[in-house]
Amino acid sequence: MTAAVTRKHRFSLTPYLFILPHLIFFAVFIGYPFFSGLYISFFQYDVLRPEATVFVGLQNYLDLFKAGSVKFIEFWNSMQVTLTFVIFSVPFLVVIPLVLAVLLNIKVPGRNFFRAVYFAPWVLSCAVISLIWWWIFQSQGGLLNYYLKMLGLETPRWLSTMPYAMISIIIATVWWTMGYNMIIFLAALQDIPTDLYEAAEMDGAGSWARFVHVTLPLLRPVLVFIVITTIIASFNLLGQPMMMTRGAPAQPTGGGATEPVMLRIFTEGFVRPFQGSAAAMSVVVATIMVIFSFANFRIFRQRD
Amino acid sequence: MKSFARIVLPVLIILSMVLSACTTPTAAPTQAAAPTAVKAAEATKAPVPTEVPAVVEPTQAPAGDTCGNVELQYWNPFTGPDGPFMGKMVEEFNASHPTIKVTMTSQGEYYTQLATAAAADTLPDVAIVHADQVPTQAFRNVLRPIDDLVVEMGITGADYPAGVWNAGEVAGHRYSIPLDIHPMTAFYNADLFKAAGFEAAPKTADEFNAVALAITAGDNKGFDITGGFPVQQIFQQMLHQFGGSEFNAEGTEATWNSEAGVKALQWMKDVQTKYSEPNLEVDAELNAFKTGSVGMVWNGIWQTTNVTGDGVEFDGRATAVPQIGPQMAVWAGSHQFTLPVHKTIDPCKDKAAAIFIKYMVENSVTWAKAGQIPASAAVRKSAEFLAIEPQASIAPSVEYAFFPPSVPGITDAYGPLGEAVGAVMNGTATDIKAALDDAAKRANEILAQNKTTYGSAPKAP
Repeated sequence: MTAAVTRKHRFSLTPYLFILPHLIFFAVFIGYPFFSGLYISFFQYDVLRPEATVFVGLQNYLDLFKAGSVKFIEFWNSMQVTLTFVIFSVPFLVVIPLVLAVLLNIKVPGRNFFRAVYFAPWVLSCAVISLIWWWIFQSQGGLLNYYLKMLGLETPRWLSTMPYAMISIIIATVWWTMGYNMIIFLAALQDIPTDLYEAAEMDGAGSWARFVHVTLPLLRPVLVFIVITTIIASFNLLGQPMMMTRGAPAQPTGGGATEPVMLRIFTEGFVRPFQGSAAAMSVVVATIMVIFSFANFRIFRQRD
Repeated sequence: MKSFARIVLPVLIILSMVLSACTTPTAAPTQAAAPTAVKAAEATKAPVPTEVPAVVEPTQAPAGDTCGNVELQYWNPFTGPDGPFMGKMVEEFNASHPTIKVTMTSQGEYYTQLATAAAADTLPDVAIVHADQVPTQAFRNVLRPIDDLVVEMGITGADYPAGVWNAGEVAGHRYSIPLDIHPMTAFYNADLFKAAGFEAAPKTADEFNAVALAITAGDNKGFDITGGFPVQQIFQQMLHQFGGSEFNAEGTEATWNSEAGVKALQWMKDVQTKYSEPNLEVDAELNAFKTGSVGMVWNGIWQTTNVTGDGVEFDGRATAVPQIGPQMAVWAGSHQFTLPVHKTIDPCKDKAAAIFIKYMVENSVTWAKAGQIPASAAVRKSAEFLAIEPQASIAPSVEYAFFPPSVPGITDAYGPLGEAVGAVMNGTATDIKAALDDAAKRANEILAQNKTTYGSAPKAP
C-alpha cells in the first residue's frame, strides 16, 4: 500500500514520452490552428494582404447576429441546413447500424460476407459515393427515376427540388457511413458475455426482452460514443452537397436550400477573402457543437 | 475490445485493399494533362541550337542571349479535355525555343491553389486567370502589373475586342493578356429541326419561338433550360440584349433589377414554361439534349465536343446564340495570361515569359481546336482558324461579348443574382421584380463590404 502511494507521487517521464508523438501532431495540427483561428476571428483578415489586416474586436461576431444582413441570412440559412441534416440523419445512422449489427451477430452462414458488404461503402471516398448517388438521382436517365417511371410512379426532381434534395443527401450519407457504426456495435455486442443471455433465457425472457434488458443496457457506453461521434460527423457535412447538389435549389431569400454551414465557411474564407469572418463562423459552430455534445453526455448520464 | 482486433481490423484491411482499386480511376482525369507536360519537358532535351527560333520567331531574339537557359513554371486550370491541347502547344513552344523550358501544371480548385501558393511564395512564373478574377487576384497580391512587358512585346488593345482587353486593366495598370473568349453557344439538334420543317438555326426571337414551338410535342422539348448553372449567365446575356447591365460603370451598385432585367427573366421563365421541362438540375439539359429529345440548349462553347459531332448519335450542331432583345449581346468568359507575384523578380524569367505568352497568343489557333475562340482578332481572321468549325461560325459573336467591371471581388456580387434567377426558374420565387430587387440589395451590401476590405488600389508591387 505504501509502496503504491510513493510510486504515485514519483514523477516518471515514460508515460509522457508515450504520448509525445501524438501530442506534437495534436499541438501542430489542432492546438495551434484552434487558437490561431480564435485570434484571427477578431480581425478583418486576409492572409494574402497583411497590409489590410485590421483589429475589429467582436465585429465579425456581431455581423453574424445582425438580422437582415447578408452574412446573417447566409450563415443562419446554412446553419439551419446543417441542423436539419443532423436531425434527420443521426437517428438512421444509429438505429440502422444497430439493427444490422444485431442481425449479423446471429450465427448464420455467410455472415462475414454480409458484414463486409455493409461495411464496404465506408472505405470509399466522399467524392466517389457522391458521384455514384448523383448518377442514381439525376433526372435525365438516372437509375432511380428510370425505375420509378417504369413502375408508373411519380418521378421527383431529386437534386433540384425540396425536400428531395435533402432526402437524397441523407440517403447517400446513411448508405456511406452506416457500416462504420455497425462494425463498432458488432464489436461491442461480442463483448457481452453469453452467460447473461443464458441466465435471462432461464428466467423466461424472450428475444425482445433479452435485447431490451441485456443488450441495450450493456451497449449504453458504446451507444453514447456512437451518438456523439455521429452528431459531430453530421455537423461536418460538406462533400456530399458540394458534389451532388452544389447547394441547390437556390432560395429567393438567399443561400442554397442544401448549402451546409461548412460550405458557407469555406466560401467565406477561401472563395471570398474574409478569413476573419470565416473564423468567427467556425468558432460559433464549434461552440454549438460543444453544447450539443455536452448535452448528450448529461442526458445519457442521468439514466445511470 | 479484443474483438476489435479480431474482426474490425481484418475487415478494414481487406476491404481497403480490395476497394482501393476502385477509387484510383477517379483521380486519373485530373492528371490527364501531366503526361503532356512531361513529354513537353523531354522535348527540350534535344535542343537545336539556333536555327529553329530564327525560323519560327524571326523578330524575337532568344532569351538565352544573356540569360542562358531559363525554366518557366506555367499553371492553368485546364483539367478537362482541353488540357492536352494546351500541353501540345507548350510542347511545340519548347521544341522551337531551346533556351526556354516551360513546365505546365493543370489543377482543379484553381484559385485556392493560387492563394496558398501566394502565401508560400511558390507561385508559378506564368498563370492563366479568368477575366473576372483578374482584379480580385491583383488586389490580393497574387498578380503584378505588366505594363512595361506588354509594350516590349508589342501587344496592344487594337488586336482585341474592347471588353475582353479592358478586363485585364486594374486601377490604371495592365495585369493580363487575353488568350481566348469562351462565349455562350446555342446547340441544336439538326435532325429534330429537319423533322419539324426547319433548316437553319434561329437568329431572332420570332424564329426561336417558331422552331421551339414546332419541336415541343409529346416527349420532345423545344428548348431545355435548368434552374442552376448556366441560368445566371443566360440572364446576364438577356439583360444586356434588353439594354440593361448588371452593375453601374463604377461597379459600386447592382442594376439588374431594371426594366430590362425584369424583361430578361420574364422571357426566360416564359420559354421554360412553354418549351422546357421544369426544375432541371445543373447539366440535366445537356444530358436530355444528348438523348436526342431536345431541340435546343444554351451552354458554354466548351460543351461543343460533348453534345455535337461524335459526342451524340444525331446531327448535333453548335452556332452563335440568337438575338432575342433589341440589341445583340453574348455572355462570355476569357482565359488570360498573367505574371504572378514573387518576392524577388528575375528579369530573365520575365523576358522568357514575354516570349512564351506572345508565342501562345499568336499560335492560339491550336487552342481553338480545344473548343475556344482566340481573343486575338489577327488569329480569328487567319485562314487556318476560319477552317475550324463550328468555332469559326461562332467567332463573330465574341465581338458582342461583355465583361464585368474591373472591381475586386465582383464575382461575389453575382452570388445573390444566381440565387434570384435560380429561385425564379425553380419556381420557389414567383415575383420576378421582387426577387431581383432583393438580390440587388444583398449584392450592394457585398459590394460595400468589398470596397472597405479591398480599398481603391492594389498594394504597389
